[in-house]
Amino acid sequence: VTLLQILCLFCNRTWDGWLCWDDTPAGRITAQNCPDYFPDFDPTERASKYCDETGNWFRHPESNRTWSNYTLCNSFTSEKLKMAFILYYMAIVGHALSITSLLISLAIFFYFKSLSCQRITLHKNLFFSYVLNSMFTIAHLIIVVPNPGLVKRDPVSCKVLQFFHQYMLGCNYFWMLCEGIYLHTLIVVAVFAEEQRLHWYYLLGWGFPLVPASIHAVARAKYFNDNCWMSVDTHLLYIVHGPVMAALLVNFFFLLNIVRVLVTKLRDTHRAESNMYMKAVRATLILVPLLGIQFVIIPWRPENRLAGEIYDYIMHILMHYQGLLVATIFCFFNGEVQGALKRQWTQYKTQWGQRRREHCSTRSTSYTATSITEVPVYLYHHDSNNEQLNGRYVDDSELVALKCGETSA
Amino acid sequence: MSLTQRFPRSRGWAAGGAVRTRFISASTKQARRTGTIARQLPARRQPGPSLLAMALLPRRFLCFVLAHHFIAATACHEAEYGRQIRERCLRPFKISMEGIGQQLWCDWDETMGTYGELTNCTVAVAENLTCYWPNRLVDEFFVAVHSHYFRNCSPSGRALRDPPNGILCPFILVPILVTLLMTALVVWRSKRSEGIV
Repeated sequence: VTLLQILCLFCNRTWDGWLCWDDTPAGRITAQNCPDYFPDFDPTERASKYCDETGNWFRHPESNRTWSNYTLCNSFTSEKLKMAFILYYMAIVGHALSITSLLISLAIFFYFKSLSCQRITLHKNLFFSYVLNSMFTIAHLIIVVPNPGLVKRDPVSCKVLQFFHQYMLGCNYFWMLCEGIYLHTLIVVAVFAEEQRLHWYYLLGWGFPLVPASIHAVARAKYFNDNCWMSVDTHLLYIVHGPVMAALLVNFFFLLNIVRVLVTKLRDTHRAESNMYMKAVRATLILVPLLGIQFVIIPWRPENRLAGEIYDYIMHILMHYQGLLVATIFCFFNGEVQGALKRQWTQYKTQWGQRRREHCSTRSTSYTATSITEVPVYLYHHDSNNEQLNGRYVDDSELVALKCGETSA
Repeated sequence: MSLTQRFPRSRGWAAGGAVRTRFISASTKQARRTGTIARQLPARRQPGPSLLAMALLPRRFLCFVLAHHFIAATACHEAEYGRQIRERCLRPFKISMEGIGQQLWCDWDETMGTYGELTNCTVAVAENLTCYWPNRLVDEFFVAVHSHYFRNCSPSGRALRDPPNGILCPFILVPILVTLLMTALVVWRSKRSEGIV
């Protein structure tokens, strides 16, 4: 018996049938996390027990028996379940929209051969990795998440699915890194217009993410082998998220370096060109922080209920609508793509109008309107841009390589 | 699984069992002293004795009548019970838990079978020795088992835990370092393919 116990009045430690409660000083409410014995008990809520001033546990006035307060454990569960369903459907819709917009963008990039260049090739790979990521996420959300029987059975296939899910997540962010490295090499390092060999980019974008995904799989199987590897409460997830954050950070520094070069070296000589280059990198500069922000602010979910809900909505939008954002910024808002689409549309319109007029009357029209679309983009721009640019950093065909990516995105 | 499921009658026992134990021990002392008289008592009992007749019997006789019914039941020798559950039940439990490994003691899926066998074993020994189950000894026994094997388990009892930091940190830092190296490699190679070093 300690001195504290002699001097202070306290309620004895007790077992109330569900949880153990420690010695508590008189007049104090003690709380601990709710147990997870029942499906509608939320282990993040708190159960409490009151030790009154006389050193006895609180007795419920109706039954006069000692009573612990478990009411908070299942009082909010239905609301939380409703919100979880909303977020779930939002995620599925986001990924479906992303897949649609990305497939349209890929179709545009493959159809318009005039747009092809190395930067577009990198965009195509990026979009493809986003499509695969969304497909795996949708598969996971539809097959595994609403199916507790499957999770209980814990087949190897759902762990394999999770492995590929982590791999595709890595691919996404490493392809963004490849874009950044390519731009960096092109602007800061390059002098000659020789096209880069893309083998190393393919290795970094498709091959390397296997490494963190495999290490995560091994560590999870050995140390935290929960059913279907669904739990997000483990620090082992940082095995994949750590390299992703490192890639984002490196990408960010590359882009800052590019901006620094453009601003300092070109400001004095050719303001117009530096503006143009700025526009070229603007899209990437916007995307990198947006894509990375979910990893930075994830640990700090606000305690307040309303703020926490808003936080959840924002995080879900940032996470699941990324493919749509990337497709919009890199493709739909790209001046080159818009120009190509407009030309194609005018061509169809005149052809259709042509056929109608031929059908209806005997007048013939000229074909000059349709001939412009056949001229490759780079030649078109090359003719109109006959300045010779100073400095080691810029060359005409480099200009071409950049412009074929985007000029006013 | 809560403790009440492991001890289905423990709360009820806490109220009634203690009383029963005291009553048993009191009447045992009486019965031992007057054992020979008690064994002859059945011949005296007529079917359906009236309440008045029962009330007229001296109190000591009443105690002997009641004590007779408990002689068979109070053959429970507590020290013997304690010894038997330690030998016959605790030993295979210990071996089994050592086999499972200390890492997994808190994993209920792993230990459920062994724990159930331990419980059933104490019930069987209680039946053999005609003791009540559960009883104070079994309760103390299980508290000791819990304090040795399940002391470090989290309250819900089944949560998995991360490996210790000494293992976790290398697992996280190595991929990050490899990422940075790989990035540097790609930057270097793309520089070289441009013809510029």
